[in-house]
Amino acid sequence: MLKKRSWQMSFIFVLILALVVGCSSNGGNTNGESPDTNGASGSSKESVEISVWLTPQWKGVLEATEEGADYDSFFKHAAEKFTAQYDKYNAKINVEVIAGDQRDELLNVNLSGGTPPDVFFESVFAMGDYAHRGALLPLTDLVDAEARGDIAEGYWENVTFGDDVYFYPFSHNPGTFAYNADMFKAAGLESFIGGETEIKTWTLAEYEQILDGLKNNLPKDQYSNAYPMALYALNNQGDTWNLAYLRMFGNPFFDENGNIVLDDEKGVKAAEWLKKMYDGGYTNPGAESVSSNDANAMFQNQQLAISFTNAVLFNNAKADMESGKAPKFDIRLANIPSEGGDPLTFTYVVGASAFKTGDAKREEVAKDFIKFFSTDPELVKSSKNSVPVRSSVANEYKDQYPLFEAYDKNSAYMFAFTGNVPGYSELRQVLFPELQAMYVNEKTPAEAVKDYQTKGNEVIASAKENSTIMK
Amino acid sequence: MKLRNPYLRENITGYLFILPQFLLFLLFIVYPIIEGIRLSFYKVQYQKETFVGFDNYATLFSDPVFFKSIVNTVIFVVFIVLLTVVFSLFVASAVFDKNAKYVSFIRGSYYIPVMVSMVVMSMVWSFLLSPANGLISYMAREMDLSVVNLLGNKNTVLPVIIFVTFATNVGQAIILYIASMIGVPKDLFEAAEVDGASRLKVIFQILIPLVKPTTIYITIVNIIAVLKIFVVIQLLTGGGPNNASVTMMYYLYNNAFKFNQLGVASAVGVIMFIITMLLSVPQLRSMFKDK
Repeated sequence: MLKKRSWQMSFIFVLILALVVGCSSNGGNTNGESPDTNGASGSSKESVEISVWLTPQWKGVLEATEEGADYDSFFKHAAEKFTAQYDKYNAKINVEVIAGDQRDELLNVNLSGGTPPDVFFESVFAMGDYAHRGALLPLTDLVDAEARGDIAEGYWENVTFGDDVYFYPFSHNPGTFAYNADMFKAAGLESFIGGETEIKTWTLAEYEQILDGLKNNLPKDQYSNAYPMALYALNNQGDTWNLAYLRMFGNPFFDENGNIVLDDEKGVKAAEWLKKMYDGGYTNPGAESVSSNDANAMFQNQQLAISFTNAVLFNNAKADMESGKAPKFDIRLANIPSEGGDPLTFTYVVGASAFKTGDAKREEVAKDFIKFFSTDPELVKSSKNSVPVRSSVANEYKDQYPLFEAYDKNSAYMFAFTGNVPGYSELRQVLFPELQAMYVNEKTPAEAVKDYQTKGNEVIASAKENSTIMK
Repeated sequence: MKLRNPYLRENITGYLFILPQFLLFLLFIVYPIIEGIRLSFYKVQYQKETFVGFDNYATLFSDPVFFKSIVNTVIFVVFIVLLTVVFSLFVASAVFDKNAKYVSFIRGSYYIPVMVSMVVMSMVWSFLLSPANGLISYMAREMDLSVVNLLGNKNTVLPVIIFVTFATNVGQAIILYIASMIGVPKDLFEAAEVDGASRLKVIFQILIPLVKPTTIYITIVNIIAVLKIFVVIQLLTGGGPNNASVTMMYYLYNNAFKFNQLGVASAVGVIMFIITMLLSVPQLRSMFKDK
């Protein structure tokens, strides 16, 4: 009996031991450096593995029409080219595409868990917070005189926080309206249609005339269930256009100290204008529960005549029409109008940043990789898929892409929509609930604007306190 | 090694058998709870943590959205759990004694939505309810009604979410009730029949009292599940309109992963933990007492 029990006990002990050993060993070392044991290559270089994350930007290396073109094609190609010529380490680069609306969730989880990606390629406005939080490596030492000369000063201002550059500018992505010229013609609005390679500027009065024409004269048999203009406030996606509308009547949005100053006569007037358009049936219904993605899909299905777009979205929409994925129509660009007459334009500078991983070798490879693909004369040509930040690339392609010139003309009217304030990601979460409250009549436009300013300034104040750059 | 204590000698094998599971329980359940409580007293920033005492709780209690999230969560718990229990009792008591094929069919049809991922269900509902190009608003337009936006109206958004969650989860409760009712001894029904009891009387006086442990189990499991309601909110409403459908879990998620306020999020977690404990302990106690 006793013998049997001791057997049982030993068996259980072995089981527990196996379990504990199984749980504790083999931790880490999945992403990082390891001594090279690759005898076949005969190389004595150490192996370093880094991860590169990006949100969907353009498909293909240079063209979306390439075979197997996808969002990661460019970085896979750049990684191959980089590792082939890199002589410091045996570098291995893993490329991963993540959804734009999951970016902050994924990054915050990975930062808390100590496993941030080494390189992140994304619009700078969405990533500025990470620089403020001290999670990014300064890239100032990567920038040489040649790059300073080729990339205009405005873009460098966008990527500089405090004294340091945190993002290497690659391309930029100007935000405008896209409109369906066929629907304009059907509604008898030919005179408002701009050229194919023009970004048309309307005055606010003209714009209201257009919305009115679209609402009343669009033939219902041809375009059933269609609305003049896109309006959305479900979440923070595409909120830059909402921010632009709030500047329509001349409100500067931020003061010189980086505080929101929307709550004045001009700001309230802009909010009232939005509400008037919504209530008047000039926009899609249910703006409070429609997302920018829904609006974009409706525009592509010809259910909206005017919608938001940026250079990449515009090119993707055209590519979808060419490939038969979406109905074909005459798509053109226009500016967001303002009461003063000057267009409201903004751009997203897109570039790479490097996260502090605490591993000097990985950080070194990450920075070398960023410098490589942001300066390699062949690779930077891919920036033509949105709009190049490098004058050399823009000049090379200007005949092929006449819109580059139109975007360039627009840049005189550009406003910095983030105000480079800390806490911008959280600030974005404050705007859409106020717009929702306004659209569902829970608050008047004046109340919504006032509450947004109060809450927004609280967010900015607390983020300023925590910023590692502003101290 | 000789064990002197006879009690220990008697039971050591049993303890050793539960030890592996107990270690995992300590590591993956107890440790995160303690860590969550600890973090709720800290301001967590990248690279450093600062002790702030009850500041995170003070932040929470000065935020009207947090109170709204508590009220909404309580509304969801009360209505979804009540609906689930009443409806599944009704369906189960109506079919449990019918022929086996029929019972299987009913069970299967109610259980299919349980097997479908909540994400997929939410996406289907999102398509149906979209105010701009959803099926329901399309039908309303065809019938010349005004624009229907059930998710954009703060009076209808909660009932819609309650219905969607209830419809997806009720199958589980029906299965449990049918199984439990089939297990009720047949002689009780026969005796009731001899005494001339009506079907309603049989249900209320025999069936429902005898499946009480199942009712308690379903209630507890559903309360805990609904307290954590998240996916439907994230995918259908995003907490809107103007935070009208924010729940505690969604508020926690926003703080942790969107606003990067891990300390505040942990404080929400601690409060949710306490609420869950308060709600479940009396019911668990009554369940064990009955046994």
